[in-house]
Amino acid sequence: MNEINKKTVKVTRFDPDQDEEPRTEAYEIPVQDDWKVLDALNYIKDEVDPSLSHRWSCRMAVCGSCGMQVNGEPKLTCKTALSDYEDTVEVAPLANFPIIRDLVVELEGFMEKMKTAKPWIMSAKERAAEEGPTSQSPEELAAFKQFSMCINCMLCYSACPVVGNEPDFLGPAALALGHRYNQDTRDEGSSERNEIFRDEGGVFACSYANECSQVCPKNVDPSAAIQQAKLLNVIDWAKSFVVPRGGK
Amino acid sequence: MKFLMLKLEPIIWQLFGGGMMLGAFLYPAYLLVIGFTAPLGITPIEGLSYERVLGLASSIPGSVLIAATISLPLWAAAHHVRHIFIDFGGLERDGFVGLVCYGSAAVGSALAIIAVLRLHF
Repeated sequence: MNEINKKTVKVTRFDPDQDEEPRTEAYEIPVQDDWKVLDALNYIKDEVDPSLSHRWSCRMAVCGSCGMQVNGEPKLTCKTALSDYEDTVEVAPLANFPIIRDLVVELEGFMEKMKTAKPWIMSAKERAAEEGPTSQSPEELAAFKQFSMCINCMLCYSACPVVGNEPDFLGPAALALGHRYNQDTRDEGSSERNEIFRDEGGVFACSYANECSQVCPKNVDPSAAIQQAKLLNVIDWAKSFVVPRGGK
Repeated sequence: MKFLMLKLEPIIWQLFGGGMMLGAFLYPAYLLVIGFTAPLGITPIEGLSYERVLGLASSIPGSVLIAATISLPLWAAAHHVRHIFIDFGGLERDGFVGLVCYGSAAVGSALAIIAVLRLHF
């Protein structure tokens, strides 16, 4: 049986037509002990203030839409139990992103960065259907599988101090995803990607705070991907002096 | 300077990585021996006698080790200080900070190498 008690949820509100700065509004609501933070937000929207804007979809930590700062930490609100917090919980939009309205942030810059890392298989020629499927051993798959589990929730961007300070930094998710394709045996685009990775805002801008891997809800470990990519870029860079065109 | 730093980043990162590695493995041992076990008489103090240390420093592997343990951690420190500076919002001055940090590390490394070479010539 679910016990009902009260909690105060402090929510960041921002209406670009009326407010100059985001403000905080407190809602005292009845909560059930099995509620997630997202349930509290949905309750506020349904029962208290329908003007509240927040993104959510799947409620099972798959879609990556409901990322927010809960008591200052980037969390998927559908995966974060309300019972883990005291009587007052603060919910704010993801840090390091421009706010559109209330808890909704602008995704455009993030999407552009994801594209910059070229997260798709690049090969010199298209494989004919007659050649059949490409084979890949379990070991070859294991080299990148973890890095392909990203759900684009952007929690890592919110946690990363470099993203906050360097607007050009491609960021954990984009670099990890680019590295995922560099590690894929079917891909031939690593030298192209590595040029981007070695450029401004690439892997070497990462100062290894490791916050991205701490907050990642899917255990992608973007920080490990970036450190691996740094080493591969050093090798690639050194090769470019020894062998013309990096030995490609 | 920023452009140069960007181009040299793979080298700087290797020096940083080497410095971190040496710092993590060798410095605790140095501190333990020189700071505690030798003064307390747990390890024999003769191990650190002038002749013995000079002998080590004058050998090729000893020279390389000494030059590396002095210079590489300087690069690690320089890289850390530069990134801490960026983390505190100093991106606009990154070029200048990089020049000071890496410049100091380069001067320190050069002095270490010269000092070691003087034992041989």
